Formats: sequence, C-alpha cells, structure tokens
Amino acid sequence: MKHSPAEILREYGPFPGVERIHGVSFDGENVWFASGDRLNAFDPQSGQTLRSIDVAAHAGTAFDGRYFFQLANDRIQKIDPDTGAVLSTIPAPGGGRDSGLTWAEGTLWVGQYRERKIHQIDPETGKILRTVESSRFVTGVTWVDGELWHGTWEGDESDLRRVDPKTGKLLERLDLPAGMTVSGLESDGADRLFCGSTSTPVVRAVRRPK
Amino acid sequence: MDSLITAAALALAAGDPLGALDRVALREDAPALALRGIAMAQLGDFDRAKLLLRRAARAFSPKEAVARARCVVAEAEIALVSRDLGWPAKALDAARTTLEKHGDRLNAAHAGHLKVRRLLLIGRLDEAEHVLAGLDPTPLPPAARAAHELAVAGIAMRRLRTRPARAALEWARNAARQAGIPGLMAEVATASLALETPAARLITQGTERPLLLEEVEALQASPALVVDAFRYAVRAGDRTVSLASRPVLFALARAFAEAWPGDVSREELVARAFGGKHADESHRARLRVEIGRLRAELAALADISATKRGFTLAPRLARAVMVLARPIEERHAAVLALLADGEAWSTSALALALATGQRSVQRALEPLAEAGKVQSFGHGRARRWMTPPVAGFTTTLLLPAPLPNG
Repeated sequence: MKHSPAEILREYGPFPGVERIHGVSFDGENVWFASGDRLNAFDPQSGQTLRSIDVAAHAGTAFDGRYFFQLANDRIQKIDPDTGAVLSTIPAPGGGRDSGLTWAEGTLWVGQYRERKIHQIDPETGKILRTVESSRFVTGVTWVDGELWHGTWEGDESDLRRVDPKTGKLLERLDLPAGMTVSGLESDGADRLFCGSTSTPVVRAVRRPK
Repeated sequence: MDSLITAAALALAAGDPLGALDRVALREDAPALALRGIAMAQLGDFDRAKLLLRRAARAFSPKEAVARARCVVAEAEIALVSRDLGWPAKALDAARTTLEKHGDRLNAAHAGHLKVRRLLLIGRLDEAEHVLAGLDPTPLPPAARAAHELAVAGIAMRRLRTRPARAALEWARNAARQAGIPGLMAEVATASLALETPAARLITQGTERPLLLEEVEALQASPALVVDAFRYAVRAGDRTVSLASRPVLFALARAFAEAWPGDVSREELVARAFGGKHADESHRARLRVEIGRLRAELAALADISATKRGFTLAPRLARAVMVLARPIEERHAAVLALLADGEAWSTSALALALATGQRSVQRALEPLAEAGKVQSFGHGRARRWMTPPVAGFTTTLLLPAPLPNG
C-alpha cells in the first residue's frame, strides 16, 4: 500500500451563508457542493462563486454529464441543472445512512457512512448491484481513470484512499492533517481531487498521485 | 455525516426538534441517539434526553472522543437546567479537557460556562470566578458570548458590584439579540430585573425603605454603623465583626440598631434574644452575660451602656446606625431565594446549595407548600420543587452540536 500525506493544493471558501459542506461534484468546468438546502457552484480557477440551486442537499452529490444526483433525507434526487427541478427520485440504498455519491459508467456509487460500505446501484431503480466493504467510515466516493477513491473521517482522522473496487482492499492512502474532516469527494478527471470539509466550510483541492 | 443525520441536524438548528425526530426516530446508531437526545431536551423531556445522550456516548467508538465528550457536555447542561446539581462534575471536566485537546474551542468554552453556572448555583463564588477568568469571551459566537456575560453578571451581582454587573448585562443583551434566540433574550431580561428590584430593606431610626442592589453597594462605603442581616455582621467603615456563629449576640445587636438612638428594654431584649415572654431573674442574669459578650465583640465599633429600663448602643465614630435586612423576612427565606430562579429543584440540590441536610430542607418546604408558596411535582428521588410559575420565565439550552464537526 502506498501511503503519504495529502498534498493540499488550494483551499476554496469559506463561502457566504455556508456552514458545512456535505457533498462535492464537478461538471467538467466548475465545482459544485451541497450545503444543506442548496447546491453551489464555483470556478476552480478563480475561486469565484457562480450560482446556486435551491434544493435539499444533505449529503453526496454526483453529475452524469447532464443531470445532478443529490442525496436528501433517504432519497437520491435527479436534478436538472438548468431549471433546478427535481425530475425523479429513487430510494438511497442505505435508507438515509448514505454519505458519498458519484457517477461512473452508467451507474451510481453510494457511500454508506458508518456501515463502511460502498454500493453500486442502478440509477433508475436504486437497486443494489454490488457492495464493496471498506475498513473505515465512508464520507465521499469518486471514480477517476478506473480508480475508486473514497474519503474517510473517523474520530479525529481523515484521509483519502484508493481501494480495489472488487475486494475493497486498501491500495493507497493520503492522510489529511489531524482535525481536518472530509465530507464529499470528486475528481476533476485529471490530477486533482476536490474534497469538502465540515469543521470549516471550505473545499480543498488535493493532488492525485500519479 | 450521513444524509438523514445532516437533515435532522439542520432541522434541529432551525428550531424544529419534531422534524429532527421524524428523520431519526427509529435509528439506534450513535449519531442518531445523540440527535434524538438533543431534540428531546429541546422538547423539555429531560429524563429521556439524558438517557439517550448517555446511550449515544457509549455507542460512539473510543476513537470518536469529541463526539463522546459533546454528549457528556449536553447531558451536563440538561442536568444543570433540571437542577440535578449532584451530577458528576468530574465527567464534565474530563469532557472539557478532551474538547480543548481536539481543538473544539467553542464546546470546550460551553463546558466551562456550565461549570461556572453550577458553581454559582451552589454558591461557590471564588471557584466560579476562577474558572470564568480562564475563559476568553472574545472569539465566542453571540449565543456563547451571552452565556458568558450572564455568568459574569451573576457573580458581580452576588459580590455587590453593580457597575460591572450592568456592563456585563449590556454585553449579554447585545449578544443575545445578535444570536436572535428569544429564550436567551428573555433570560437576560430576567437577570436585568434583579438590578431594578429591591434587594434589601434599610431600617433606621424607626423607618424602613427598600434598597436596590446599587444602593446596597453604596451602603458599603457609608460611614454608618451597619448591622447586616445578610451576613450576620456588624460593620463601620472597613471594620467588620462577624456574628454569624453567634445568633443570640446578633439578635441583640439588631435590636439595638433598630431602636437607635433610643434604648431597648430588658424585657424586649430577653424576648428578642431568648424568645422568652417574661424576663425573670435567670433571664436577666443571662442577658447580662450576653451583653457583656457583645460589648467585648463590638468594643472597637460601639459601646453598650445601661439605661434606666435597659440598654442602648453608642457608636464610637459613626454618626448613624442602620440595619440592612432581607426584602422579605420570613422563615425559610433562603429556600425561597433559591427557588426564586424559577427552576425545579430537588431537595438534595437545595441541601447542597444551602450547605444543610436534606431533612431540614424538607422541614422548610412542607409549611411553604401548605402556604402555597412552593409546589412540587414527581415522586421519590425524582421529586422537584419550584415556586409557582412566573409567566415568561425560561432557561435556554445552548446544547453543543451533537456530532463531530457537525
């Protein structure tokens, strides 16, 4: 297993009116994050806040190239980014104990926080297709270049870790400094991982190791 | 945090405990138990709240030290508000240390303020002041700042320092308004009322009038000879003679002060000091002994000389003599004074605060209850006493956020 301290490239925020970050996503250009009662976008180059969508946003956020998927209460909402309308909902696999959410190749991956699990589900029905077990609480999940990463936050320790999507075996770990929390994780498809924080309302960019 | 826990926490923060319960009612995991506990506390079901928080603290893993500590702090706050003053103070100290060590300064400060409030309620002013001095209010958000200033004001009032008390209440008022918590604003208003309500009576030369706390403070600097029925002491200028452990001597001193510049008859002195109706020879002999003792005690402040029908007090330097008495003097005034805070007290808490036995508290409460001045609810160990409710009285729970960084 590769193991190193996380290299934090940049911190975005705090953002006005935002107390905590609950989920993070990337639409190819801008970073989006869930802050309880809305989704917010900012430009990762300038750090400038762009717009927001008023929608219940209690945990993980994902983007499939066209729509947002957002955990709220015990459901996953499908949201039109243009109108902000909730188009449909499916039950969340953890019945509300879910935290992270990401889109990959036609399916959704959902982290189940204290159960230390990641479920792959059908985005139409919510049916569980596969479950990966982790050894730590799961707070955010993302896929990048065939790698499954998830954020953890257990007690005072947080890290970002790459796991084997079949066995859940830990392959690589990036430790965050003590006291920093991770909630929400998303890659920009290249060499940056964005992760949210709840101790201070910021989004951090962390270098993805090659 | 998971989705429903976040949703429930948001509902709680928005003042909707039922909405919070709705989301986690059936969940038994640690964060859900903690949230349910906080919600029940906000709904006023303190017994259930304490139970849930205790279960939550056990259910969090040993690694989740901060979450555990916050549950302990919440439980301590509920215990304080329900006047369960026998609650283990050590557990609160330990939780406070944990929170400090993990950088949760806000909740560590909250734990500190709870400790101060408990010490204030059980009358340990020095300790309360000491703990408070170690808490820096400047980085605190408004609600915590208001709690801090209320504690400062509470100590200042009990120490008869009205100017700092006023200043602290002003800070508290602003902070409470900023926090926008109506209960907290009401609490500040109630505390401020104490400065505008008579705190004592002044008896001098046959007349009496109510005194505000400020006037009581001013009296400390007066050159008069003051017989102080709060502290059972006699003082003039900066000399004080305590008669706290000598009730007979104090009763005599007070009788002299009330009659001054006149004298007091032997019969009346016997009645006041010994409760006897007729002064027989043995009473007169006892009176002479006690007057001799009082004369020795007060030697530096006043002389006691015999008159035709009794005795009179002659201050040495002071040009006036006065008595400072409680606003309402009746038996069991001390019990009523504690209950006047509008909270429900257990007899054990009252006994602790009054440094007396539970049995004597019980003996004081029974006639007060018969006279309709106090009321009780609950049975056995859960029995609580309070004065009949005053409209608008409230005590705000500023419970810590139950979740790690959440």
